[in-house]
Amino acid sequence: MNVTDGNTVTFGDEFYSSQIELLLKKIEEIKLATKDKIVLDFKKTKHFDTLALATFINFEKDPRINSIFSEEILKDIDEFKKNIDYDEKAGGEISGFESFVLKVEDFFSQMKSVIILSADIFYYSYKAVFNKEGRKKGSVYQQMLLIGNNAVPIIFLLSFLIGLILSIQSAAQLRQFGASIFLVDLIVIGMILEMGPIIAAVIVAGRSGSAIAAEISTMKITEELDALKVMALNPLKYVVAPKMLAMTVCLPVLTIIANMVGISGGFIIGVLYLDLSPDIFINRAVSVMTLYYWYQSMLKSVLFSWLIVIIGVHFGFNVKGGAEGVGKAATASVVAAIFSVIITDALLSLIFYFEW
Amino acid sequence: MNTRNVIEIKDLTAKYDDRVILNKISLDIKKGEIFVILGSSGGGKTTLLKHIIGLLRPVSGEITVLGKDILKMELEEFEDVLKKIGVLFQGGALLNSMEVWENVAMPLEQHTKLPESTIRNIVKQKLSLVNLRHAYRLFPSELSGGMKKRVALARAIVMDPEILFFDEPSAGLDPITAAELDDLILDLQKKLGITLVVVTHELESIKRIADRILYLQKGQNIFCGTIEQAKALGNEEIDRFFGWKEKTKNI
Repeated sequence: MNVTDGNTVTFGDEFYSSQIELLLKKIEEIKLATKDKIVLDFKKTKHFDTLALATFINFEKDPRINSIFSEEILKDIDEFKKNIDYDEKAGGEISGFESFVLKVEDFFSQMKSVIILSADIFYYSYKAVFNKEGRKKGSVYQQMLLIGNNAVPIIFLLSFLIGLILSIQSAAQLRQFGASIFLVDLIVIGMILEMGPIIAAVIVAGRSGSAIAAEISTMKITEELDALKVMALNPLKYVVAPKMLAMTVCLPVLTIIANMVGISGGFIIGVLYLDLSPDIFINRAVSVMTLYYWYQSMLKSVLFSWLIVIIGVHFGFNVKGGAEGVGKAATASVVAAIFSVIITDALLSLIFYFEW
Repeated sequence: MNTRNVIEIKDLTAKYDDRVILNKISLDIKKGEIFVILGSSGGGKTTLLKHIIGLLRPVSGEITVLGKDILKMELEEFEDVLKKIGVLFQGGALLNSMEVWENVAMPLEQHTKLPESTIRNIVKQKLSLVNLRHAYRLFPSELSGGMKKRVALARAIVMDPEILFFDEPSAGLDPITAAELDDLILDLQKKLGITLVVVTHELESIKRIADRILYLQKGQNIFCGTIEQAKALGNEEIDRFFGWKEKTKNI
């Protein structure tokens, strides 16, 4: 490559992509120096690569560049243009409103498939209670260990801390009015009705909801689900039902633990900070803790457990793409599960509070 | 050989969204034969296989497996049909959370009431049939691609099926292992009298094992018959697939 006359660049037999950068730099220099057209003379160039070819096509678009190509280059440019002559998007551009409509449609079709899926899950899980056929031996027990037993330490720690902090913040306020004894009512009702079920559900959604989504989506990608189907083993029976049963048992139990541990956090604050006597705290707590509250708490946690499983399974079954899809399914399932747990909790609390 | 048809397909049409994948495919597969489905990539081979084993539902058409119309039956009835067939998936599709022997034993444990010791003996026998005695206690992730396929084969034949489906058995295997797998397939057909349906595009194995072939081109059934008949047909695409055209040119 050499500049012959101020704004003309002549090229030799070869032009490869390694020279492009140098050429572009030179063109910039010439553009700054003169206002004339720049002439690129590729007449002799017979050997070039694809990157060089793509650069030639760009030169054609630049009004300040006048390029002269050899026959070989012209032929290949025609070929190249034919090969790039198609839309990147098969369905054409989607406008903002259209994509909104598509998203809404997608949401409703997902809802529809979730409803069908939950009906199937309930059916097979209910059948699995009485009939052990079609699932692995000991799988419910194994799932209970994974979902329930292994979550106990973290539920213990977190609900204790939340009970402790909740009561320390409210104790400071209640003390000003001399209403220290109402700390007991606050912490007992607060834990049993709201915090206990929510803490347990959020932790289990994070631990096991994501695990369910990841496990099932991996099985789907590696064709394991198809393999189960053709072995006449229904994946809902074989994989999902044990998880559903284990979850239905474990989450209420974890909720009971969270409730009791949270209240004991409040007990420590009541006794040490508000100087309530242990007797009074316990008596008051027992009288506040009606069966009706426990019933609400358990109802919530059972519903939450079903939500977590159904959402995890839904995102697992609908996985798209490879390893990245598995990650997305797990993330989406946790977000959706926590979201729907809190919405359901709010609805149930309103219903019970106003006794609708 | 009994010439009863084990699989009959009539006017099967399948679509993904709006794209037609299979267009009015009709075929019969006879008992005891090795039937090879072939064609270029994207021709609908795997889709056809997935329809026959009930993983996909067609837009229209009839599929009869072992004398029963599988599209018109309840799930439970269909599961009874599935118990009589075995499927070998492309990647093996073993359950990764279970050891090899558990994978092979799974159909027996779920569908039969045989005692544990009998099940173990059957598993051992099937694993030696595929030359994998040493892999008994390994996990699928510890196996090579060829070994996974052989384990999957052991799992597919553990219930002594009447029909065995293979989705690209020799894809990704070296020629020696692929040839061994072909020997195994021929062996099974001889010993157990199984009907085999194989999807493949490995020329060597097609020539060695196929009794009859079905050639799919863009979802169309362009030929169904023996290899000799295919050669006599003189269809351009089939000749190119088998490399017959160049040979005639050379002569």
